[in-house]
Amino acid sequence: MLAYLVRRLLWLPILLIIVSFITFALGYYGPADPIVALLGRHYDPEIAAQLAHEYGFDQPFFVQYVKYLGRIVHLDFGESIKYRNQPVLRLLIPRLLITIQLNAVSSFIGVVIGVGLGVFAALKRGRPTDRIVVFGVVFGRAVPVFVAGPILLFLFARMIPVLPAGGWNGIFSRSAILPVLLLSIGPMAIFARQTRAGMLEVMGQDYIRTARAKGMREMGVVIAHALRNAFIPLLTILGFLLGSLVEGTFLTETIFGIPGMGQFAFEALGGRDYPVIITVTLLVAIAYALGNLWVDLLYGFVDPRIRQA
Amino acid sequence: MSKESRWIPLIAVVLLVCLGAVCVIGVLGGTTFLGRLTGTEEAASLEGGARSSESGAVPKAETRELVETPEETSVTPVPSSAGGQVLIVPGGDPPTLDPHLSGDATSAEYVVEIFSGLVTFDQELNIVPDLAKGWDVSDDGTVYTFQLRDDAVFHNGKPVRAQDFKWSIERACDFRTRSTTADTYLGDIIGCRDKLRGTADEVEGVQAIDDYTLEITIDQPRVYFLSKLTYPTGYVLDQENVERGGRTWTDKPNGTGPFKLAEFRFGELIALERNEDYYREPMPQLERIDFILTGGSRMVMYEQGELDMAPVGLNDIERVTDPTNPLNEELNSVETMGIFYIGMNNNQPPFDDVKVRQAFNHALDRQRIIDVVYKETVPVAWGIVPPTMPGYENPDLKPLEYDPEKALELIAESKYGDVSEFPDITFHVLGAGGATGRIIEAIVASYEENLGVQIDVQQTDWATFLSDLNRPDNPNQMWGGEAGWIADYPDPHDFLDILFRCGSAQNHTGYCNPEVDDLLDQAGGEYDSEKREALYRQVEQTVVEEAAWVPLFFGVDDWLIKPYVKGAYLPPMVIPKYQYYSVER
Repeated sequence: MLAYLVRRLLWLPILLIIVSFITFALGYYGPADPIVALLGRHYDPEIAAQLAHEYGFDQPFFVQYVKYLGRIVHLDFGESIKYRNQPVLRLLIPRLLITIQLNAVSSFIGVVIGVGLGVFAALKRGRPTDRIVVFGVVFGRAVPVFVAGPILLFLFARMIPVLPAGGWNGIFSRSAILPVLLLSIGPMAIFARQTRAGMLEVMGQDYIRTARAKGMREMGVVIAHALRNAFIPLLTILGFLLGSLVEGTFLTETIFGIPGMGQFAFEALGGRDYPVIITVTLLVAIAYALGNLWVDLLYGFVDPRIRQA
Repeated sequence: MSKESRWIPLIAVVLLVCLGAVCVIGVLGGTTFLGRLTGTEEAASLEGGARSSESGAVPKAETRELVETPEETSVTPVPSSAGGQVLIVPGGDPPTLDPHLSGDATSAEYVVEIFSGLVTFDQELNIVPDLAKGWDVSDDGTVYTFQLRDDAVFHNGKPVRAQDFKWSIERACDFRTRSTTADTYLGDIIGCRDKLRGTADEVEGVQAIDDYTLEITIDQPRVYFLSKLTYPTGYVLDQENVERGGRTWTDKPNGTGPFKLAEFRFGELIALERNEDYYREPMPQLERIDFILTGGSRMVMYEQGELDMAPVGLNDIERVTDPTNPLNEELNSVETMGIFYIGMNNNQPPFDDVKVRQAFNHALDRQRIIDVVYKETVPVAWGIVPPTMPGYENPDLKPLEYDPEKALELIAESKYGDVSEFPDITFHVLGAGGATGRIIEAIVASYEENLGVQIDVQQTDWATFLSDLNRPDNPNQMWGGEAGWIADYPDPHDFLDILFRCGSAQNHTGYCNPEVDDLLDQAGGEYDSEKREALYRQVEQTVVEEAAWVPLFFGVDDWLIKPYVKGAYLPPMVIPKYQYYSVER
């Protein structure tokens, strides 16, 4: 098990190198120049050249890239260009904290409600309530964030103006309600669907019949036997969730004007603030990689055959 | 059930608990964690923010958060009704608070209140003494001797001396400071450009004669030089403050301006408080200014009493300019020192023929289009220099007026003879793929109707737009519309010389007329203001006639200001203003 974990973790740096290389190359060969964006209306070719030299942008691609890798090894992610000379991490961490709060709360709510809905639907299999849940789940999964977001805004901030349309006053404030709701739709839908499927499969098993035959109460059967076994596939989904939520946050933060990592990255793209862009890309890649690692480890844990492979 | 799978529910529960814990830690422990990571808790709260105040994605709607949940959010300032000399205004996250690095209006807005320099502008944009109480200019116009005030101190009480200025200007001119503006504003000072290029250690042109006498030598007589010194790049900094604070010294800036930085929470709030030891009239009256950086509609917040001032966007302009609307009485408009225009690449067909460029001027009914699109709130630009320019007017300017028939004649006389001989024309505008602005639509439709020219509109994001324009061979044929030029210093030089001199970095059209350059040279060194004005008038007339641009309109800022805010002064460019403000409820 430990060897497996180590083997998998060794892949992480390789993945990060590939990701950073691609991002770096896109930035280097992309159409706009961060120095021009920085100088804006004060652009002058001579000053631009000199600043490019100061930032090391005049060096050949590979030299720049290797130097960058060298700094990354020392956990130096460089300095922002737009936020003049501020260390990227210093700018990023407060924003990252907001994003993590948003994600954690949304997935917590999404998972709890999703599992509940799944169990409920499975128990009412074939009845109208089940159909409604299934339809809602498919619908919720199918509607992208950038469609659902404005709809929620329209409903709860404009038509029935009970919630603020944007801004951020902390995770426990009313300004967090809509974004959390929006972000929890995805996990809620996945978990409801998976729980329902898992429950249905398990509920037909012999040991469930045995438990019932022993005279166990239905509630006990569902929680102690059925749900417990239906959880296995759910754990793996939790891993994938980590990556996909980060994606959703980018849009959600932009829609609601939340000063998190997603909005910061979006803004960095506009100003071609490459040190920030690359750092965010690496963080997202790490989130995905750890999520996948978690999934694989669990599979290995559940199924010894995978461990050997 | 297999042995391992017995653990699964346990893992699930542990995981969910962890998730819950992260939520709680994230909220309660965030600040402490951050504080540890970045050194101090104050440092943690001093981050720059990610939110842009004009975030287009946030629709207009309710944002009551500020009033209803003050204890929980602590982000929020005391509501304005709490009284006292507190002003609550909207703001944006500044890219920097370092005067030498600031090159954008958002940063400058704060910087000019916290710091100050030798000279500044009064409300009529006259140059007035600031930290200098007076100055002499040598007969040849190259040596400026400033007498500094002996009663001015930094926020920490340390006196401001000539040596501080020498150190500050040398820091701004040091290439390691990475200033984007030092060349523009201080480049005329002897030695600054050398230091910027790394070939000199000292800026020779700046000498501290004694503690309160500063001598600045420039390369040639330049009438607009003092204007340039009003910009933050020329401000004085406290060497000890900067050197001790390292890259993050602006967390605790020791400035000289009328206000001090009291609080900075990125994306949330910047608070300035009155500098009790400020050295100059008018003394600031406001005890505190809260700049609200969070999102949400500024207009709605204003209407709910959460802001004392709010900018009016294009969507609301019709509503507030309606005289029957009570808000109309609180509307304050100011013409900014900015112009919006259509740029035409003088080196690319079909705009390489002056007659085609003139035709494009005559074919556009600017008055009508701009009145319709901007609800008659902005003045049409017939010339180049904004009417807000102090000491300059050009009432006799002969514009290229709307005359579609003349436009067609001009095209017939041009080397193309007919629009069918034109190459394809692409109009580059700012945008991200959404609908183009109404002004762009109107322009394109007008040219099709009046000239029979099909124009493709191409949107590019801001960084690409700028990068293209600044390439040595600007690939754009036609651009602008919603992009413009705003004054750095209130002098016609900043428009006519910077934008139309042959080969000037900001002359994106490639317009080049040696006669114009001659006139610009003369004007730049002409100390007789009447002669100088006449020279610039001549330049403006020529540039308009030779149709380097299609000027569209001059910028206007519309603000709603609560009636109890007194002395609310809206300058046409970013200059210190809050020392004029007070609140009388």
